[in-house]
Amino acid sequence: MNKVITINLDGVAYQLEEGGYDALRAYLETAATRLQGNPDREEILSDIERAIGEKFRALLASYKTVVVTKEVTSVLAGMGPIEADPGKAADPGASGAGAPSSASGQGTAGEERTARPSGTPRRLYRIPEGAMIAGVCNGIAAYANFDPTIVRLAFVLLTLVGGAGLIVYLVMAVVVPEARSAEEKAAAAGFPATAQEFIRRAKAGYYEAMKGFPDRKARREWQYRFKREMRANADQWRYNWHSYWAEHWGAHPGMGFALPLLSVLQGAATVVWVCAMISLLATGAVFGLALPANVPVWVAALLLCLVYAILTGPLKLARRSCYWGLGRPRWTWSFVFLADAVVWLVVAVALLWLAVHFFPQLRDAVHSLPSLAHEAADDIAAWWKAK
Amino acid sequence: MSVNEKFAAIRKGLLEFLLLQIIAADKVYVADILKQLSATEFATQEGTLYPLLSKMRREGLLDYEWKESGTGPPRKYYELTAKGREQLRETREYWSEINGTVKKLGQK
Repeated sequence: MNKVITINLDGVAYQLEEGGYDALRAYLETAATRLQGNPDREEILSDIERAIGEKFRALLASYKTVVVTKEVTSVLAGMGPIEADPGKAADPGASGAGAPSSASGQGTAGEERTARPSGTPRRLYRIPEGAMIAGVCNGIAAYANFDPTIVRLAFVLLTLVGGAGLIVYLVMAVVVPEARSAEEKAAAAGFPATAQEFIRRAKAGYYEAMKGFPDRKARREWQYRFKREMRANADQWRYNWHSYWAEHWGAHPGMGFALPLLSVLQGAATVVWVCAMISLLATGAVFGLALPANVPVWVAALLLCLVYAILTGPLKLARRSCYWGLGRPRWTWSFVFLADAVVWLVVAVALLWLAVHFFPQLRDAVHSLPSLAHEAADDIAAWWKAK
Repeated sequence: MSVNEKFAAIRKGLLEFLLLQIIAADKVYVADILKQLSATEFATQEGTLYPLLSKMRREGLLDYEWKESGTGPPRKYYELTAKGREQLRETREYWSEINGTVKKLGQK
């Protein structure tokens, strides 16, 4: 059973299997890119669409309403790749001998070939893979090409300073859609849908293009673009690394039962972190350990957040591996999740109890936040002026 | 390298000439052209043909008109312009010259 997508080819609707839709879209995108700079681009594209539609129609009958993936790929193979410079022989030496007098291409080969796919348009999505809560920070990080930890820290800071971060987060969690399909995930970071697609393009494009350049300037320009695209892709891989690691590392059955233990550890770390934060904000010292004289309180708070993120990072990864280690849903899952839920409940209750127990201090801490923010702003301003 | 591969570039260059010949004979649409070429050494695909036809139209060698088809949406039927016919005449002459040269050279 496959999902069916309805498309419009030159004004006629067709139903394709999802895989076929992806293939067709990739074909038309490549065609559009190759025809960049061609004055008849739109017309050729609609010719191509109409021709594909005609072939689809030949495959359909009253009892068969969907074009399956295999049929789409065979139709596309029959169409052949779009040639950007028609009538121009591949080998420049041979073209003079064999081509009729008018067979001169428009524009140089360099121009045609530097027109690389410009990547998927970027959109803001929530990304559930590797998310802490709803994937809002993850999505922003992918959108802005930033480290998610820094975005999270920014949100935590905004929450500590007057609670704006929390409100913004909640609103975004509701408003921003979640990236579900592979395409949406690609759009979230503005990259081509799959790594394979990129590798294919790189292999096909790089060496071929390197041969065809008329002069050094064009070659250098192309090299620059290629490297930039490579870098962009490396960023995506770095970003995917977390989920990749969790999927492929140490994911064997039975590990799922380590989950509650890991939860205890992470819960303990969270409790310690919150206590340290409270004691820092309330007394200006971490568990009675006075700060060095020249370290302001807000720097210490930032450092605490950082240390917490660094310490709990591996724990989170391990927990993730455990989830994967559970394999397919089975009855054993419910016990693991129950134990996990109990652990988290205990942690939450402990935090609540702490908040109530240390209520005066907590209140003091909250009251000290605005002045803390002013202090931070002043310090930054002073540092800026000094520079 | 087989002869077939060696002549790939030349075949590609000759395609425009052959299109002029095919379109000169009758008003055709792309599937007709592909069918006529498919049995020959010049068998080609839409991906090559559409960009080439649009380039030739831009150069004023041919034009098209929309015609209703019995089974589906209207199709583009191509025909030569005066300039296209002139080009075809020139190319034919040139081609027969080349042909003559190829035959003549090296014979005693």
